Amino acid sequence: MKFDTVIIGGGLAGMVAGIGLQKAGQSTAIISTGQNALHFFSGTFESLQEPSPRIVDLFAQAGIRLHYQPGVRLMPMGTFREAALSLEDIDFFPSAKIGRKALIVNFLGYHDFFSSFLAEGLEKQGMQCRIRFINLPEMEQLQLSPSEMRSVQIARKMDRIWEKVVQEVRLLLKDEDTVVLPQVFGLKDASVPGRIRQGVPAQVVFAGTLPPSVPGIRTQMLLKKRYELLGGTFLMGDEALHAHVHDGVVHSIVTRNLDNHYLEARSFVLATGTFFSKGLRSNPFAIEEPVFGLDVDYATERGEWFNAAFAQDQPYMQYGVKTADGLHAVKDGQPLKNLLVAGSILGGTHPELGSGAGLAVRSALEVVDTILQ
Amino acid sequence: MNANEFDVIIIGGGITGAGTQRDCAMRGLRTLLIERSDIATGATGRNHGLLHSGARYAVNDAESAEECIKENMILRKIASHCIDETDGLFITLPEDDLSYQQTFVDACLRAGIGAEIIDPDLARRLEPSVNPQLIGAVKVPDGSVDPFRLCAANMLDAKLHGGQVRLQTEVTGFIKEGNTIKGVHTHNHQTGEDVDYYAPVTVNACGIWGHKMAEMAGVHVGMFPAKGALLIFAHRVNNLVINRCRKPSNADILVPGDTVCIIGTTSTRIPFEECDNVAVTPEEVTLLITEGAKLAPSLSQTRILRAYAGVRPLVSADDDPTGRNISRGIVCLDHEERDGIKGFITITGGKLMTYRLMAEIAADAVCRKLAVDKKCQTADIPLPGSEESSYEAVAQKIWETPSTAQKAAAARMGTRAARIRTGDKRDEALICECEEVSVGEINAAIDRLEVSSLTDLRRRTRVGMGTCQGEFCACRAAGLLAKAHGCVARERKDLEDFLQERWKGNLPIGWGDTLREAEYTQWVYKHVLGL
Repeated sequence: MKFDTVIIGGGLAGMVAGIGLQKAGQSTAIISTGQNALHFFSGTFESLQEPSPRIVDLFAQAGIRLHYQPGVRLMPMGTFREAALSLEDIDFFPSAKIGRKALIVNFLGYHDFFSSFLAEGLEKQGMQCRIRFINLPEMEQLQLSPSEMRSVQIARKMDRIWEKVVQEVRLLLKDEDTVVLPQVFGLKDASVPGRIRQGVPAQVVFAGTLPPSVPGIRTQMLLKKRYELLGGTFLMGDEALHAHVHDGVVHSIVTRNLDNHYLEARSFVLATGTFFSKGLRSNPFAIEEPVFGLDVDYATERGEWFNAAFAQDQPYMQYGVKTADGLHAVKDGQPLKNLLVAGSILGGTHPELGSGAGLAVRSALEVVDTILQ
Repeated sequence: MNANEFDVIIIGGGITGAGTQRDCAMRGLRTLLIERSDIATGATGRNHGLLHSGARYAVNDAESAEECIKENMILRKIASHCIDETDGLFITLPEDDLSYQQTFVDACLRAGIGAEIIDPDLARRLEPSVNPQLIGAVKVPDGSVDPFRLCAANMLDAKLHGGQVRLQTEVTGFIKEGNTIKGVHTHNHQTGEDVDYYAPVTVNACGIWGHKMAEMAGVHVGMFPAKGALLIFAHRVNNLVINRCRKPSNADILVPGDTVCIIGTTSTRIPFEECDNVAVTPEEVTLLITEGAKLAPSLSQTRILRAYAGVRPLVSADDDPTGRNISRGIVCLDHEERDGIKGFITITGGKLMTYRLMAEIAADAVCRKLAVDKKCQTADIPLPGSEESSYEAVAQKIWETPSTAQKAAAARMGTRAARIRTGDKRDEALICECEEVSVGEINAAIDRLEVSSLTDLRRRTRVGMGTCQGEFCACRAAGLLAKAHGCVARERKDLEDFLQERWKGNLPIGWGDTLREAEYTQWVYKHVLGL
């Protein structure tokens, strides 16, 4: 099978690159193992502040509205972080005092939404908080199972009965000016959070839950839909095993499912993420990039990979593949002419591109530009 | 009588202290146990969890071997819910001397340990994970024991017999009148309160820290801190304990326990100052993996969950630099006879296996001092939870058709699992999916087992001990603790401490799947949840 570009990795970076290239008329394929960092996406593109029209448009065309205002956003444990470009589920506030009185609403038996931590965090900012639990008969089936009260299962229910939650919240609401709800709305339909806001006579804030992230999964589904509408080939559940490289040029890729076929292309994009998604692999002595055997930037002494304090920044999270001439991959000290790198597998090697989801989007767009040149 | 007066004060919430308190309380004494942090934080919770048959000591230390097999049989009876009757193998590999096998079996039989030479083929069938190159195998009645559960059950039974427990409370000094110890000064680390407690007898059951405690009382107990490093693997690779049939050495015991298995140990003398903060070195990790793979080759491909180390409270006898040749025997010192200090006893040496016997010896000494004539009953009366031996029968009695999670709860709690059937189905929701721990079980532990933190909760329920190492369950359980204690700010700090403690065990083994999981945990807590 032959494509203009083959992209390894179906996370945020891979998908943005695929959409960008398809839009420019290329034929592309994305190889995706299935899970990726969007499953635990906070909803915010860290390190992206000023919304560039190119990024906002790309997402808007996929049905994903992004917004940004300077200020802070509320985190699931009741803390605040600096605002950055975000999905519309995320709210921004000029300061951490987001209101006078808050009603924090959880579902009875749901342990993945941290209502008491949220209350404590808001009270620290001088707010008064009341926590209430709602118990809808439609939820009973989930509650009776020991492991079904999880974000996605609840979100599937909510796609059908979110209006009942609005009614319950209206009944519970006294003189509060703020209502905090778990981010379990609009798995299929991105407009639901906005409609809930309209239905409740107070400012509604959605706070995150334990993964999987409902807005993240929605984002992934919409991006994939957009990519396929543009004619892209999404190879779901497949994995790149190794590559044929000669004279600094990648010729083809072998995957697990297409065992007798090579995926050939003029350009390749590596967007396989870090350790968790197996973009990087470690053993007691080394950190490797498993598909191409690329050069990786890391400390050779294992003791230096970690900070002994859990909460501190960890050196290993900054490790990534080496690049040259922009985002060209490097193998044995030589740049590969047609292999470009995007997303978190870059680690901290390109601080100017930011980190997290911000890095994923910016590096993917830069890769698109390089390939199209 | 004053509320702060007791018949006996026991210092140290390890298995020896908890066992001694239970024994004394069952003999009708008014007891107080004081522990500076939580139960089972020292050597009690930092070993293999091996229910020794005694075979390991048979050749070199017949006395310990005999004690082990006797206690082994007693614990099966009185602590069935803490014990997994797996049996064990002593294997001979091509590089070992096969003629040692007969010496070994003879010594076992002399000590009363049922050791049976079996065909290597049979050994491979009984334990498919064993190194297939073995040339000899001996089957012995080894097993595994959950030391946290055992310690908690002893503490609970002491309380059921009127005993009082003060955790997070440190002894800061002794109340002395002339040469008599009358009680202790204490400081509670949680409340900040300083309280004095009085008793005619005080028992020092502080393990390796007993050295310091004795010094504070004005007596010297020569101890030998020997560090042992261990690794926990994420799967239960073996179902039988696997040992090497040779003189005891490094990393030659692989013990299955609950959902995991544990390889260890090493033995290195360390300075006393390091006892509070022992770390596993890269060299120890390499040695444990290399030697462990000789017992069960698949270990080299198995994810390591964490590394940890404990300090054996050996009593020094000679200048052996490794401590391996020091007897693991029990030492009970009456400091009145030995040093002229009245009202003070030290119980030390020994091991997890012989804790009950140690407790009996200490309680006998306490009773002599108090002129109380009561017999020890701890060998006959089961611990709370162990009234029935089959956890499946227990689960069936409680739930009729128990789920796997309910069976797991019955295996952990024994008959006490009846407490978690609250009538509210929502209490069956799983907080820890790796170990299948429910809301009900966590609430039962908080109610009855003196839980002040997530780490305490882990020791009593296995929350956070599984393959995700607390990634999901820690913050869920923190929500329940915040509710129970009514203090979110304290719980936030507790959650941070818990994650830090889990991270510590990852540092020496941070590669492969361990690093993958750690990256996910760090990302989730920092960037997604915003802790």
